[in-house]
Amino acid sequence: MNHALIILGIGLVAGPLLGGLAGGLDRIVTARLQARTGPPVWQPYYDVIKLMAKELVVVNGWQAFCVYSYLFASMLALILFVMQSDLLLILFTQALGAVFLAMGALASTSPYSQVGAHRELLQILTYEPLLFLVGVGIFLETGSFKISVVMQWKDPLILKLPLLFAALGYVMIIKLRKSPFDLAASHHAHQELVRGVFTDFSGPLLGMIEIGHWYDTVLILGICSLFWATGPVPMAALAAAAYATIILIDNAAARLNWRWMLGHVWAMGLALALVNLICRHQG
Amino acid sequence: MRTSVIPFGPQHPVLPEPLQLKLTVEDEVITEAVPALGYVHRGLEALAQNRDFHQMVQVTERVCGICSVLHAICYCQGLEDIMGITVPPRARYLRVIWGELLRLHSHLLWMGLFADSFGFESLFMQLWKIRERVLDIQEATTGNRVISGTIRVGGVSRDMDARQVHWIADQLTWVAHQVRQIEPVLREDFTIRRRTEGKGVLTSAQARELGAVGPVLRASGIAQDIRQTGYAAYGELDFEPVTATAGDCHARCMVRLGEIDQSIDLIHQALDRLPGGDIRSEVRGRPQGETLMRVEQPRGEVVYYIRADGGKTLSRVRIRTPTFANIPVLVKLLPGIFLSDVPVVVLSIDPCVSCLER
Amino acid sequence: MNGNTTTVEVRNLLGEATRLKIDGYRLVTLSGVNTGPDQVEILYHFDKDLTLVHLRLAASREAPVPSISPIYPAAFLAENEIQDLFHIRFHGLVIDYQGTLFLPREMESTPFCRYDRSETPRPVSPDPQSAKSAGGA
Repeated sequence: MNHALIILGIGLVAGPLLGGLAGGLDRIVTARLQARTGPPVWQPYYDVIKLMAKELVVVNGWQAFCVYSYLFASMLALILFVMQSDLLLILFTQALGAVFLAMGALASTSPYSQVGAHRELLQILTYEPLLFLVGVGIFLETGSFKISVVMQWKDPLILKLPLLFAALGYVMIIKLRKSPFDLAASHHAHQELVRGVFTDFSGPLLGMIEIGHWYDTVLILGICSLFWATGPVPMAALAAAAYATIILIDNAAARLNWRWMLGHVWAMGLALALVNLICRHQG
Repeated sequence: MRTSVIPFGPQHPVLPEPLQLKLTVEDEVITEAVPALGYVHRGLEALAQNRDFHQMVQVTERVCGICSVLHAICYCQGLEDIMGITVPPRARYLRVIWGELLRLHSHLLWMGLFADSFGFESLFMQLWKIRERVLDIQEATTGNRVISGTIRVGGVSRDMDARQVHWIADQLTWVAHQVRQIEPVLREDFTIRRRTEGKGVLTSAQARELGAVGPVLRASGIAQDIRQTGYAAYGELDFEPVTATAGDCHARCMVRLGEIDQSIDLIHQALDRLPGGDIRSEVRGRPQGETLMRVEQPRGEVVYYIRADGGKTLSRVRIRTPTFANIPVLVKLLPGIFLSDVPVVVLSIDPCVSCLER
Repeated sequence: MNGNTTTVEVRNLLGEATRLKIDGYRLVTLSGVNTGPDQVEILYHFDKDLTLVHLRLAASREAPVPSISPIYPAAFLAENEIQDLFHIRFHGLVIDYQGTLFLPREMESTPFCRYDRSETPRPVSPDPQSAKSAGGA
């Protein structure tokens, strides 16, 4: 019992701690790539603290409900991950959170949020099949959806499933809201939808979404690190390398549109994933 | 089919200027676009009736910060035409140098904003870093970063010495080198081409009919540049209008990229051939008559219609800015495109709202 | 003025504009000049291969001026501007802002002319807002 509580605590703390840190490092690295200095590494925390201190203004009750649900689902997904639970359960929990966020945006009547939510749903539609295939690939390789089994697997999965890992890269870019797929909400609001799905959230609610995004970031990097789960160091190294690559791509690409995203990611991502799986299990 | 009206502006992060486009959208496809103006109209044309004609130079220079010198040059040329003043050659060359520096920084500014419109933030930052150097040159030679305030009726008010001439040439070599490094990205990058090629296509017939000016006109294959009329010292310098044929957003970007090289070349030519002598002629008497003067701005031709009836003040100064001429183009281009392409197409005409609302 | 100037009247304005369009001229812009309490001079500037041609029209605030925007779509913004600043009406505009391009609807005078409210000419196309205020005054 005590052991479970400690794991719960680790899950709860890891999200804000690692996610915020990753966000801060992202901002510094991005700034350096753009010939700027950038903010201090703690800036994401300052931002959220400031948002939390603001007056709570909601468009309607549904919006607040959806934000709480999103945060709860994101937290739950990460806790399940830390508890080394079932991969499928984790994937469906985080998908639930993502849908709640889009529903929150749909609760207001602003055209920016409406169109943003529409695009957010399309993004979910784009990456969920790939994420599911990643789960299937891990299952076919290790014989279990349980993360505890994956963690005990001796060989790095990435050597067996390199193309599937590349497909996971698409998912990570979409999920972390990076160019070229930062369609529903770009990090800074310089797009046609202002901030897309986030446009109508403000103050503490926006802060909660930000915290939820930290949990999501850690979860997706965690799933990524499962591909080299032979020990904590390779896991962290793989996640860091993937994250750095995504920041680099973010700074070397323009934002594309959702039509292209849907066609390209489905065609390329599904092809990569399926080719990998078929090669492993036919040959 | 879901129809909604999206207010694009007057407060919108893509366009940090108060221009509103009411976009009627059906499933992310624009069906109608109506521009709403007048959020910052300042009545500068009416101000001409109670400022004397020397003071108006200051006013015209403040029509727009980004085209400042060229507004003043156009206005002064108009008055010089009415009053029959011959501008000393050195002043004409200095006007070219400042005018081209302005074009240089304006195009770099535009390219940065254009990159930002399709979400390429690092390109935006790099381009603005280069632009800073051009602004440094402006500050060193005129005393101000943006609004130079050196143009006068009959000439210019500031000279530059030989040391400055060398320094400018050195700095421009650095700028040219930096631009050359970024050029392949703008020209070849897959994501940029994906976002700009084939978007907002304007044929040459449409461009002529809608009265397009500047890079928008030249990107549609019409080689018209008001600098070809040879005002200031352009008649004595070698250049060819930069054109493209595709007529889409990428072509407009390429035309402006070509004009950056062209501007650097023109400044080098002007610095090499800079004649000596006076920088300002004497202005006597009061203007009487009317004229229409055109100058090529970064955004296209600016037109000043000036009418004077012998008084201290002018009876009419009418300013037609390039953005004013390109708004009909925008109204034509927007319907039928995707919402995600709106920022790219809007910025491809380089809208300048402070010009638009004198 | 640089370029040839032709004086036109309201009745042959559209004909002249069409002729220039067929000749391949591009509309540069329109300029309005206040010439009297009831008179506005409108200049139409055209350009072909960097050569300018002007049409000069003496318009009156009493009678509406035919819009050339069906011939030259580029003219609609400039005509709306003159409508705002000089309180003159154009009829046949492709997009008619009804005098609210730059001015707010409740504006009672225009920048380039001073006129009495009672002398407000009736709008050409029925505009409910101004018709109501004219009736009230």
